[in-house]
Amino acid sequence: MTMNVNPDLSFIKFLKSAGGDTLKKCYQCATCSVVCPLSSDKKPFPRKEMVWAQWGLKDKLIGDPDILLCHQCGDCTAYCPRGAKPGDVLGAIRAYIYTYYGFPQGLAKLASNGKNLPLLIGIPAAVILIMWLISGGMHLPTEEVFTKYGFSQFFGHWDFRWLSKNVFFIDIIFLPAAALALFSAYKGASAMWQKMNEGLNSDSNFRPSCNQFVLDYLWPAIKETVLHKRFNECGVNIDRVKGHLPLLLAFIGLFIVTTYGFIRKDLLGVFIPALHGVIPQYDPFKLLANVSAIALIIGIGILWANRANMEEKKGIVPTFYDWFLIGEIMAVGVTGLGAELLRLADFMTVAYVVYYAHLVSVLMLFLYMPYTKFAHLVYRTVAMAFEKYRESGFVNKGA
Amino acid sequence: MDKKYGAFICTGCGIGDTLDIGALSGVVSGEMKMSCKTHEFLCGAEGRALIEKDINEEGVNSVVIGACSPRVMQDEFNFGGDKISVRANLREQVVWAKAEDAKADFVLELASDNMRMACAQIKKTELPEPYQLETVNKKILVVGGGVAGLTAAVEAAQTGYDVTIVEKSDALGGFAKQWRKQLPSRAPWTDLETPVVGSLLKSVEASDKITVKTGTEVARIAGAPGAFEVTFKPAGTSGEWDAPAKVGVDEQDKIDKGLMEDPNKEFRKYTDKNSDAEGFGSVILATGWNPADVSEYAHLGYGQFKNVVTNVEFEQLAAKGKIARPSDGKPVESVAFVQSPGGAEHDKDFPYCNSVTSLVALKQARYVREDNANAKAYILYQHMRTPGNMELFYKAAQNDDGVFLTKANVMQVTEESDGSLSVAVENTLLNENMNINVDMVVLAAGMVPTTKDAPIINLAYRQGPAFLDLDIFDGHADSHFICFPYETRRTGIYACGGVRKSMTVEETMDDATGAALKAIQCLESVDRGVAVHPRSGDKSYPEFFFQRCTQCKRCTEECPFGALDDDEKGTPLPNPTRCRRCGTCMGACPERIIGFKNYNVDMIGSMVKAIEVPDDDEEKLRILALVCENDAYPALDMAGMRRLGLNNLVRVIPVRCLGSVNMVWIKDAMSAGMDGAILLGCKYGDDYQCHFVKGSEIANKRMDNIGETLKSLGLETARVATRQIAISDYDKVPEIINEFVESIVAMGPNPFKGF
Repeated sequence: MTMNVNPDLSFIKFLKSAGGDTLKKCYQCATCSVVCPLSSDKKPFPRKEMVWAQWGLKDKLIGDPDILLCHQCGDCTAYCPRGAKPGDVLGAIRAYIYTYYGFPQGLAKLASNGKNLPLLIGIPAAVILIMWLISGGMHLPTEEVFTKYGFSQFFGHWDFRWLSKNVFFIDIIFLPAAALALFSAYKGASAMWQKMNEGLNSDSNFRPSCNQFVLDYLWPAIKETVLHKRFNECGVNIDRVKGHLPLLLAFIGLFIVTTYGFIRKDLLGVFIPALHGVIPQYDPFKLLANVSAIALIIGIGILWANRANMEEKKGIVPTFYDWFLIGEIMAVGVTGLGAELLRLADFMTVAYVVYYAHLVSVLMLFLYMPYTKFAHLVYRTVAMAFEKYRESGFVNKGA
Repeated sequence: MDKKYGAFICTGCGIGDTLDIGALSGVVSGEMKMSCKTHEFLCGAEGRALIEKDINEEGVNSVVIGACSPRVMQDEFNFGGDKISVRANLREQVVWAKAEDAKADFVLELASDNMRMACAQIKKTELPEPYQLETVNKKILVVGGGVAGLTAAVEAAQTGYDVTIVEKSDALGGFAKQWRKQLPSRAPWTDLETPVVGSLLKSVEASDKITVKTGTEVARIAGAPGAFEVTFKPAGTSGEWDAPAKVGVDEQDKIDKGLMEDPNKEFRKYTDKNSDAEGFGSVILATGWNPADVSEYAHLGYGQFKNVVTNVEFEQLAAKGKIARPSDGKPVESVAFVQSPGGAEHDKDFPYCNSVTSLVALKQARYVREDNANAKAYILYQHMRTPGNMELFYKAAQNDDGVFLTKANVMQVTEESDGSLSVAVENTLLNENMNINVDMVVLAAGMVPTTKDAPIINLAYRQGPAFLDLDIFDGHADSHFICFPYETRRTGIYACGGVRKSMTVEETMDDATGAALKAIQCLESVDRGVAVHPRSGDKSYPEFFFQRCTQCKRCTEECPFGALDDDEKGTPLPNPTRCRRCGTCMGACPERIIGFKNYNVDMIGSMVKAIEVPDDDEEKLRILALVCENDAYPALDMAGMRRLGLNNLVRVIPVRCLGSVNMVWIKDAMSAGMDGAILLGCKYGDDYQCHFVKGSEIANKRMDNIGETLKSLGLETARVATRQIAISDYDKVPEIINEFVESIVAMGPNPFKGF
């Protein structure tokens, strides 16, 4: 098949600005493919991705599952004799992929550029501030209320028992944000799946059923992720496991705690009013919450240190793409744990401000998830599921 | 000179431990009738004092030194220009080279023969007197006014020599004047530079040592280094003083008999003197190159599509301003640079490209990107040749967002309806066949040297107007690429720049500087009456005893450097300043009337005869080895230094070049009862390593002929042989000699032994 070549110069420019500044240095020696565990005989990875990137062939790259399967172990970058840093170029391509599949495009583009940072923080900050104003809860509660209910009357209180005022406001802020994020992630992931499937050149009409997709492809991928199997194969960057694993587990822990909080307060609490208010410290779920919060801060702290170290010692270029996510998560962790500690220490005023900041940072995490580096949580998982699909007997290879 | 001899044997370096020094000095003082002294450290102060005492007190002026190889300790055993010093190699090729199982008497016999030969040699050696012209012209002629010629002229003028530049076209500057930019010449090796030709032209104008003749060509160059007589003519004209074509002996015969038309009937004879000619001492040939014709590659569309151009045409477009499409003047947004024409058939680059076209493509890709930030430049190559620091330039070009490089077979260039071109490429780094749509295609045409199709140098020499055998250098004016880049086959004429090799402006400037230095070396050597190259400083030169010359013309035909012309009677007319002192004429002469003061037929013949040939011992065969002193002799020394063992039946005589080997020496050896003879010389053929280009090849031919002679005498032709030895073959040379000796042993002794 003959390809009509038309390199996209703006794509090359984007990659160079997003951490792939070295991509043009590659001279196709294939050292990277020799060290990369993802590379196979017929598909020299990431060598072919490097030449595609050099030639600005973005269409080939956005449907390439291998790019997302790469965990940036850093071996290719370490061994590259030309300093082309393939690992970092792949990171830049991933950044491009998240923006490319992002919906709506305006938001995706906004979230991909460091210049927009004031807006990226300003919008959620303003939304929550306005909601806070509207709710009429924007005043300090009495000592008694604060001690009993903590932040759960942040947005005020009404007597409608089926839905508390606080939950109402939290819901109208976070549910649409989460819905948008989920929808965008779904849309992006399915567009990517389709693109990847085109790339298989398979003549089979097979499409996995939903059940099959989840059981055979998605679930094993998630299991693998949780166990950090691939991360553990990393050579040069193995230290990242020490940060990423606690971080991932912390997110799972916090997800469980949030779900527990929702069931306890918003479902059971309707019937048993005593369940409202602060969860006591002896509650095992509270314990899990605290441990997770600490794990989150430690995990992201380690990743922070790793990256700073890499930039200092290996000349990796700092990018907005990497640091935005690190900053975001750190903000969530520090403001969350900080608000709790301040509450326990009874610094009410400061605690309220920090809690506000916590809400802002969590909203940011939700809102920008599908477009920033956080999107790897969706796209990489989908790519890993796709890999299982690709290797399944249903796909006609060799076509 | 009345010679008074004295021989000295050094017993150091293991010589005294291995040899019976008493017996050895007995051979010298007895048989050879020379006083012989020994010392344990002859090259030291005390040893030298011993020799100098004899020189000062006894009047000794000719010294035989039996010690190390003549290749070492040359200053230690040099007793002044008025003394003769001859060396016998007792160390490297005798005591160090003896095999483990060597018999002591065999080794002593070898050492004794080496002393005998040295004694015989010194008796036939005279002090050379340099050949000096009455007046030496020290002006330098530079042919060609491009970057090479201008640089050579400026460099030579700055050193204080008068230079004349002759340029065919109406203005100086050559091709480089048409370039937009030139490649980087300094760190960081990433930035294009303003062409240097402008400042060169200013330097030429400013110099009062440089004369410029534009619109002028060289009609003929007669004479010899230090006394060239150059006739100029207006460019593009022809006249009676044009250089005549070569007419060989057979052709002249036909012309005389009216069987063939004289090709030179309109021209003056090559020996005629033109009183209007201008005198020069040496010549720098910088006539450059012509862009290669690429129209034969039909699939690339040159000549069919206006937007397919050569790299030279693209450069001219770029020099005019922003690059526009030739077909319609549209500003160029994309250009494909095609480096190799072979498609799927072969991966060769365009002929005559060397590394230049790779670099030019990178440079021109830079123009495309400079003119338009959104433009794309594709470089489709089979080879990307970026020697030296140019690798950094390549890296910088590669790093440009809009430069796309891939190895590729360029299959076809076709034209689209909008005047753009579609380039079909296969076998790319992208593992896919591609169509690339571009505004222009640039073909990497090579640089054809001007000497490919015309003599250019127009010499009025017996051997014709052109350099010889340029076909082995694809027409480049080159003679011995490996060792001597500037030398041509004509002494006093030094080539540089594109005429010598396809090269960039930056390389050309280095090259031209080198050629200017060679031209100066030539003038100064001629002034001192010594050889220029490769025997730089050699005072000896061939002398002819013309009374016995039979006008056979072998010497004039065989001289690799065209040093010999003919006079009216056909007698050789030597031009000693053209000569390189290889002695090929001496080897050629059947009458043996050519010789040097310190190297001649009689001398080597006497050395051969000095070898003692036992006629009563079948184990003691004697084999003569005539060994080229440039490569093979050092290889033997190195074999000795590494204690590899050399066959001690062989007697080695170093020669200047195998070309100087006169076949009478072989006859001398065989009639003296020696059992075989082997010639060890340099590799010949297209990749020859002979310092004198043709010597080893000629020797090989002569040996074929002598085989016939031997046969008629009833001797086996296999008793004589030649072998090609490179200096790096030191590890193989003992075995090569052994094999030959074994074949002689198998044949048995020379049946004429003892007669």
